[in-house]
Amino acid sequence: MTSAPNPLPETAAGWRPAARALWRALIGRFLGLAAGLHLTWRRSLQVRVVTITLVASSLLVGGFAYLIADKITSILLENVETDVETRLDSGAAYAAKQFGLYNLPQEAQLQDTIDGTVNYLAGGDPQQATGVVVALTADRYPGVIKPQTSPAVPIQPLISRELRDAVATGKKASQIRTGTVDGTRTKYLVYGSPVPTRFGQVELYYLVPLTRQDEAAATARATVVATGVALVLLLGLLAALVTRLVVTPVRVAARTAQRLSAGLLDQRMVVNGEDDLALLAASFNQMATNLQRQILRLEEMSRLQRRFTSDVSHELRTPLTTVRMAADLIFAERDEFDPAVARSAELLQAELDRFEELLTDLLEISRFDAGFAMLDAEPTDLVPVVNRVVDRLAGLAERVGVAIELDVPSAPVIAEVDPRRVERVLRNLVGNAVEHGEAKPVLITLGLDDTAVAITVRDHGVGLKPGEEKLVFNRFWRADPSRARQTGGTGLGLSISLEDARLHGGWLEAWGAPGQGAQFRLTLPARAGDRLTTSPLRLVPADAALPFGGPRSGGPLAIGPGAGGALAIGPAPAPQGDRAQVTS
Amino acid sequence: MTRRLLAGLLGAVSLLGGVAGCGIPERTEVRVEGTGPVATGGATSAGRVEPPSRTAADSPEQFVRNFLAAPAGEPDRAYDRVRQYIDRGSHSLLQEKQGSEVVLTVVRLTKQPEITTNLDDIDVTISVQQVGRLRADGVLAPPEASETSYRFRLRPTLEAGEEIDWYVVNPPNVPLLSVDALATYYESRTVYFWSSDRQRLVPDQRYLPLAVPEDRQVSEVVKWLVAGPSEWLGRAASPLPDRTDLINNATRTGNRWEVNIEMPGVDRTRVEQFGTQLAWSLRGVYGGLDLKVRNQQDLVINDLEQRRQTHRIYRVDDPPRRFCVYDGAIHALAYPDETPGDVPVGAGANSDIVSAAVSRAGTATHAALVVEDPNGRRQLAVGLGQGQVSILKRSTGRGWAAMSRPVWLRSADQREPVGLVVADGRLLRFDGGAQPAPVTLGLTGPVTAVAASLDGHRLAVVVAGVPYVVAVNLDGGVLAVGPARRLPVSLAQLTAVDWYGENHLIVAGSAAGRPGLYEMSVDGALELPLEQDLGAPATHLTSYPANPFSSFGLAMVEANEVAYRTSPFDRIPQDLVQDVDGARPGNPTAPFFVY
Repeated sequence: MTSAPNPLPETAAGWRPAARALWRALIGRFLGLAAGLHLTWRRSLQVRVVTITLVASSLLVGGFAYLIADKITSILLENVETDVETRLDSGAAYAAKQFGLYNLPQEAQLQDTIDGTVNYLAGGDPQQATGVVVALTADRYPGVIKPQTSPAVPIQPLISRELRDAVATGKKASQIRTGTVDGTRTKYLVYGSPVPTRFGQVELYYLVPLTRQDEAAATARATVVATGVALVLLLGLLAALVTRLVVTPVRVAARTAQRLSAGLLDQRMVVNGEDDLALLAASFNQMATNLQRQILRLEEMSRLQRRFTSDVSHELRTPLTTVRMAADLIFAERDEFDPAVARSAELLQAELDRFEELLTDLLEISRFDAGFAMLDAEPTDLVPVVNRVVDRLAGLAERVGVAIELDVPSAPVIAEVDPRRVERVLRNLVGNAVEHGEAKPVLITLGLDDTAVAITVRDHGVGLKPGEEKLVFNRFWRADPSRARQTGGTGLGLSISLEDARLHGGWLEAWGAPGQGAQFRLTLPARAGDRLTTSPLRLVPADAALPFGGPRSGGPLAIGPGAGGALAIGPAPAPQGDRAQVTS
Repeated sequence: MTRRLLAGLLGAVSLLGGVAGCGIPERTEVRVEGTGPVATGGATSAGRVEPPSRTAADSPEQFVRNFLAAPAGEPDRAYDRVRQYIDRGSHSLLQEKQGSEVVLTVVRLTKQPEITTNLDDIDVTISVQQVGRLRADGVLAPPEASETSYRFRLRPTLEAGEEIDWYVVNPPNVPLLSVDALATYYESRTVYFWSSDRQRLVPDQRYLPLAVPEDRQVSEVVKWLVAGPSEWLGRAASPLPDRTDLINNATRTGNRWEVNIEMPGVDRTRVEQFGTQLAWSLRGVYGGLDLKVRNQQDLVINDLEQRRQTHRIYRVDDPPRRFCVYDGAIHALAYPDETPGDVPVGAGANSDIVSAAVSRAGTATHAALVVEDPNGRRQLAVGLGQGQVSILKRSTGRGWAAMSRPVWLRSADQREPVGLVVADGRLLRFDGGAQPAPVTLGLTGPVTAVAASLDGHRLAVVVAGVPYVVAVNLDGGVLAVGPARRLPVSLAQLTAVDWYGENHLIVAGSAAGRPGLYEMSVDGALELPLEQDLGAPATHLTSYPANPFSSFGLAMVEANEVAYRTSPFDRIPQDLVQDVDGARPGNPTAPFFVY
């Protein structure tokens, strides 16, 4: 016979994760809600104004309501206190007169007189329920004088020990107590007074139910609270309305400004009336008109400038071609000239090459500026492109003594790119690296992942100063303007490369540090038109030293308080086996 | 910013919550309001007279006397006091009662207690006459028990062979109170009730224990009034309205008393009458009195004595005048220190007179004469008039062999006065028409004497030698007679009676075979000899009773055809009789007072 497996452990084991999941879901929901509220708070002026109004008016109205309710309660209580005290005084005087006829507590008719007096003070007829209870006790003569209460209800527990003590010492005292009498829980105002007699002191107590006062106080309180809440809500509503009056034109202005900034320069606000908001709208419209005029003027100027550049380039090309042909002829015949003229012919040839390159780059730039650049993307294997660039620059590299190292995957790296432009970018980057390599090796790395491909070019030259990473892409920028342009290069290469990368929807970034060389990274989407999120390769090379010395290789970083309240980051002390671990 | 706002929101919410919470608290600390009232050192009206304790006696005789006084005092603790005398084993023999059921059996010792000393105890036999039952409300009611003797034993406590005190073993089953103790430890108080026609205040006798403090006496008196008149006065006196009650005690502030009563359905007249009733019932109490009916200030009496003076209960304007019958005619008696009166009967009618009764009410004079007709029989002649009465009507018929001194009922309604006379052993009533008619008393035996009190609502009669009191009411000329109350007396062979005070009678009777004159209380409890050696039974007795305006009574008596007066007791000499010219010398007889 086989026994069925006990289901309990499984159930218990299955219950905890479910609860944890529920808890996590709740927490997540709450955090989401809080974040939503926070966002709303930050975004909506109306919400802020209404909330602040609600809070401030709640405080004010709440304070007043408290004062009023408290005052009403104390007035009610004072009234009944005065009333009871008067009754108590006359009652004690009456009782003192009545008991003054007796010299000993044992006297026969004293108990009758006590009973009669208490009944008399309570109003005689116990059925006439005013609720007031009169009690007389003789704490000094227990067993001799029986305590008497009228109406006969068990109210002794309502007279506290402390009150008895106070009255026993000859003081008139009062206290509010709550107790259950006749099955209903009632608040009582208990007043006690000593009654002097010839044989000593007895104590007279009046217990007045505060039911009516309590009800009246509750009604007053409810009225005050309801009025207060209504007032606060009204104020909130008013604040919302007023804010809406102000916020709506502001929102309209914001929307109009957004459209303006999106290029819709003819957007204007509607001007209603003559108030401050109308003034704002009019001013806004005026500003928009002025901006539009200025922008159009600048655009026109820019267009004229680009046109000028383009036109100048074109116009220069024709005479240049002629000059070129003549120069080529002279250069070909230079061996027949004397050495000085031959040298001039060589210089002329070289400068004409640069001039041509410059004109080509200027034309390319003007094409980009005019928006005529078109991407001719096709699936391309980038490995041959890299190899081709390296081969073409091998001569230059050899001349300056720079070794070009390649780190390229063995498999083809296919991406939808314009191979001509990519090659131009690479040529530019590798050429710059070789040029500034200072006879140190240049490393070209090709990497890829699912969405992007990346190529980094690393040199170990003088590097870049902080802030120069962005400047290098400026047109005609030089790290050291005083340095003579020794090598070729037009000063437009990186600008064109950046435009090429942008045309692909890719990134071209630079990293550099003084004395550590520089690294440029080109990241392109694997499929044309995709958005880039990450790059398969790191911008900062792995061998670069961090500005603060950096951690030991593979060692943990310590982050802690530093001098002057700053955050200090540095290598952690020697591991003690207490490494922090983060697990997913 | 957000945090500050959040704090503000919380504050606002807590404030509103505070508003909701700021009601009357569930409980508070004790708050002292001040010093309570302090006892004002008033004079304590102690004056507590308590009977002696058990161990106060030196001899068994004294112990027995003390035992018969033990219950005297406030009724609530009467049984306790008696029990202290009784041996613990015999406590159960005394049937204990509480509150208004407490009744003391009042007895008069007819002879000295017989005390027989045995080997280890003492036998006591007391011979008694049952006098009455003293109730908690101070009324001495007629006796119910018939025992003439009680026997009990005393167990002595020995110390060094001497008897130092005693315990009563096998005691009587009721607390006994001797009349001596009644006289010693109680005060006789008179309270007044309005007569049925609300014209007169009728006195009612009560006994107040001397142990009651003075401050409580007013309360006691008001409680008596609330409880109503004694049973035997029921015919004459009317109680307070139903459900009348004293609210708590009457209290005194300085020299003013405050009485708060519950008295439903009363008008101003009734309140005024109650004020007068209270003022008279509180004789001996002076100062002011605030009468509150149901807590409302209803009647303010600034001075009780003044109230009593302005609201007199009897129409006794002048001092009494003494007259006598001398040679068949009425003559004034002139004592040196008294003013003699004018003879109230005109000369034409002033002859053949045996005895006479003349009553004055204002200017009116009522005269009733017993005259002897030519046959030697008695006839009644009645005359009503102003000043001196000259025209008298005579009874018709053959007359009576014997006829006592007539009396007038001094009722408030004087238009149709009614008189009483005893003739041939029967009580007769008569009016201005002089036609006597019998009055039924419901008693067997010959009636020998009749007397009317000053208030006109009480009669004292002697039937077969025994005194009775009876309440009467005159309603439209019809005499309504209440039940007669027999008075326990130690005297025998009573021959004459008259009222000697509001609650006292003067009787002529024999003690131990010797005729004498005695004053006795209206309930028969107290007897006081006035003259124990009269020599012969009195045949004629008349008095002027003590009253609020005359503190002592006067009496004149005739025995063996010799007339005497009291205070001091001496013979009325012939030379005091006025206007005796032409009259046959003899003794003055049948003396009487005119008032």
